[in-house]
Amino acid sequence: MKKLSPIAYVPRRETVQTASLAPVTLYLGAYLLVCFFSSDPLVLVTATIGAVIAGYGSGAKRAVNFSLKLGGFLALTMVVVNALVTSRGTTVLARLGDWPILGRVDVTAEAIAAGGVIGLRAMGTMVVIGVWSACVDPDRILQAVHGVARRSALTATLISRLVPLAATDYARIGEAATLRGPAASPVGRGAMAHRLLAGSLDRAVDVAATLELRGYGSSGGSAGFRAAPSRYDRRFWVAGVFLMAVALAELAFGSGRFDAYPEISWEFGLEGPLAAIAFSLGGFVTWRRGRRKGRP
Amino acid sequence: MNPAVSQESARRTGFALEFDNLGYRYAGARAAALEDVSLSIEPGEFVVLAGASGSGKTSLLRAGCGLIPHFHGGEISGTARVAGRLTTENGPGELSDVVGYVAQDPETQIVSTTVAAELDLPLRFRGDHPAERARAVEEVALALGIPHLLPRTVTTLSGGELQRVALAVALVTRPPLILLDEPTSQLDPVSGDELIWLLRRLNEEWGVAVVLAEHRLERCLAAADRVIAMDAHRIGFDGSPRDFLSWAVAERPELATPSALVFAGAGFEPLPTGVRDARRTLRGAVPITKSSPGSTKPSESGGDRPPKTWVNAPRRVGGDGSESARGLVLNATRLWVELDPGDGAIDVLRGIDLKVRAGEKVALMGRNGAGKSTLLRTAAGLLDPVSGKVEVGAGIALLTQNPSDFLVREKIGDELSGPAGEAALRAVGLDLSPERDPRDLSGGERQRLALAIALAGRMEGEELPGIVCLDEPTRGMDRGLKEHLTELADRLVARGAAVVISTHDVEFAVAFAERVVLLGDGEIVADADMRTVLSGGWYFASEVARVFDRPGLVSIEQGIELLAAESDAGGGS
Repeated sequence: MKKLSPIAYVPRRETVQTASLAPVTLYLGAYLLVCFFSSDPLVLVTATIGAVIAGYGSGAKRAVNFSLKLGGFLALTMVVVNALVTSRGTTVLARLGDWPILGRVDVTAEAIAAGGVIGLRAMGTMVVIGVWSACVDPDRILQAVHGVARRSALTATLISRLVPLAATDYARIGEAATLRGPAASPVGRGAMAHRLLAGSLDRAVDVAATLELRGYGSSGGSAGFRAAPSRYDRRFWVAGVFLMAVALAELAFGSGRFDAYPEISWEFGLEGPLAAIAFSLGGFVTWRRGRRKGRP
Repeated sequence: MNPAVSQESARRTGFALEFDNLGYRYAGARAAALEDVSLSIEPGEFVVLAGASGSGKTSLLRAGCGLIPHFHGGEISGTARVAGRLTTENGPGELSDVVGYVAQDPETQIVSTTVAAELDLPLRFRGDHPAERARAVEEVALALGIPHLLPRTVTTLSGGELQRVALAVALVTRPPLILLDEPTSQLDPVSGDELIWLLRRLNEEWGVAVVLAEHRLERCLAAADRVIAMDAHRIGFDGSPRDFLSWAVAERPELATPSALVFAGAGFEPLPTGVRDARRTLRGAVPITKSSPGSTKPSESGGDRPPKTWVNAPRRVGGDGSESARGLVLNATRLWVELDPGDGAIDVLRGIDLKVRAGEKVALMGRNGAGKSTLLRTAAGLLDPVSGKVEVGAGIALLTQNPSDFLVREKIGDELSGPAGEAALRAVGLDLSPERDPRDLSGGERQRLALAIALAGRMEGEELPGIVCLDEPTRGMDRGLKEHLTELADRLVARGAAVVISTHDVEFAVAFAERVVLLGDGEIVADADMRTVLSGGWYFASEVARVFDRPGLVSIEQGIELLAAESDAGGGS
């Protein structure tokens, strides 16, 4: 029996899954934007919390937990690597002497903080992608893409299927990695990422061939895809527009509020906490009252 | 295009598919994939496409649906026409209303979330009206017996169900021609047989021309009107199934079916195209001509014995064969395993008790979803049982279904190095340059390398772990590759390990195993020596067993001996 990838899409009658693609994209896009580009640790942490709340509210608990685990590992790795390879910063916490390749290693508080910010970005981004992958129907993405890339099945596949394909391959290759003999070279993250990307692209090409055979690029009439309206659309439009505005404002005016180098400086104004509150509370938009009442 | 129009188009042009001196070379490839191929398929014909792995079957099918050259690029010469349309001028999308294509791996050909959406997709792309789409989806679902699957999400479907859905999608636009590339390779014998007879029914009732590429010809030859055999990228044979068998026995014994090899080995003619045909002949409904045994082609070993590929009698290897003399290498006790496929946890293994001893060769069989892979994965420690326990005292190595998952680096030397790596390579019989890229290896070599990676460090010196497991390694393999796999298993057993292989391929199990464990719905429904299990059923029985229906009679050699003995006793026919 196949084991389902933790971030594979599962149809559910929850808010994100039933709402139209455009408002959901705007809503989750605001989280993605702020998680990827913000440099304020408070905003990054609260946006990640908001994304976790949004994922839990839409029933994607497994995807959220998996993304947190993977993102947490990635964040920790970034903190350690940045601490070892960057000697910038004035607050030296430990002098570790000369190392092969790295040379003189001084661990500074500033390098740890800078690595932490990059790690928080990675973790938040992974949670948002996990929620997107588990809650947004790839069929609807494909339908949307068909409207704008009518001739290229490969483009459509890469947009709508690459993440699900990579998730499936990750589970399979990860399993094979645990079955390697102890004397075989271990599968490092780099080799895994390389193999994953190459394998997913190969499989994406196969899926694109299937789409071609289904008539994707044919000159037939319009496919007539029309999304059914949802009662949650308005909620996501309002929240999406608001959060996107906050995200853009945060990116435009928030840069420089936190700086790691040459020494850690963090200006506490009003705008940072306001953005933090908006993004953490914004997660509850996916929740609905009495959601499991009367269910078996 | 209207379905009736596409059928009419095929009728008007005369041929459903026509190749004229077709040649093709993939982009960047040195050797040609197709050379000087000329053939024509009539509307309503059922054609089986035979040939060894790499002989050009897949390329031929791709050329027939427009993927070659539009999707794969490369250099093409000659012409290919589908229902009169040139494939060089019409891409796969334009040809989708006159030809359907089903590939080997169902997982790469399902692109939607639900079955209903998947069936609806080609009709939407064609621009059909919603009412027409609804009717077409309903009718194709009824024709293939899958209306109950329509609301299901594709991730919850079994391999057999997925392949049936892929076939339904290929047929939903009602094309006059359908091309299938080894569609049964991942199916259990039950689902595989069902699919073949479904194709025959569609062929008879809907008039759909079928071109079916297959390795396990014993499954489909009886349904075919015609066989085309590819040989080194060219057409090696084109004729009726019976003539094909005569040709195969003489020229390519590895392509001949077991029952044909039995008849030829005993010097009986005509050669049967299937079980029913063989039984009718043996009952006397068809007159038998007795020719001299082995007259078709001299065997490798000389004399009247059939060539090596014909012989698949089981033999015990390792130790003295007595149970008490052999150590226990796997001991599962009241094993319960629960998995959640996405819509709630279910019991996949239900109280399994299984013991495997050193030196045993065990085939693990059962229908798709019976729990074979779950049992192996639990033994290897990938899954935790919810109840019961499994012990592998002397260690375990497991090779999962896709060996490529083990190959993550660009040099063999980077995957395996040091004395332990070299010992593992020796154990699987690989002697390759450490500089070679694993991706350049043949399918069989990749499988051996992946197994070496699984073994590395689990061996004490040259000593293997107690049990080596391979999960469905025969998918898409021709008989030559399966023979290499059997040799590999013998090699491992000779060095003291027990080998457990899960497989759907009954003929491979006859060649490889000395014991068969048959799983059904998470429980062991049969566990005995191979001859007993594979001669005692309808589906999990070799072709020879189904022809003769005698306890313990499963192999080609046994069949030849029986026929020869009966023929001598009766004074010949």
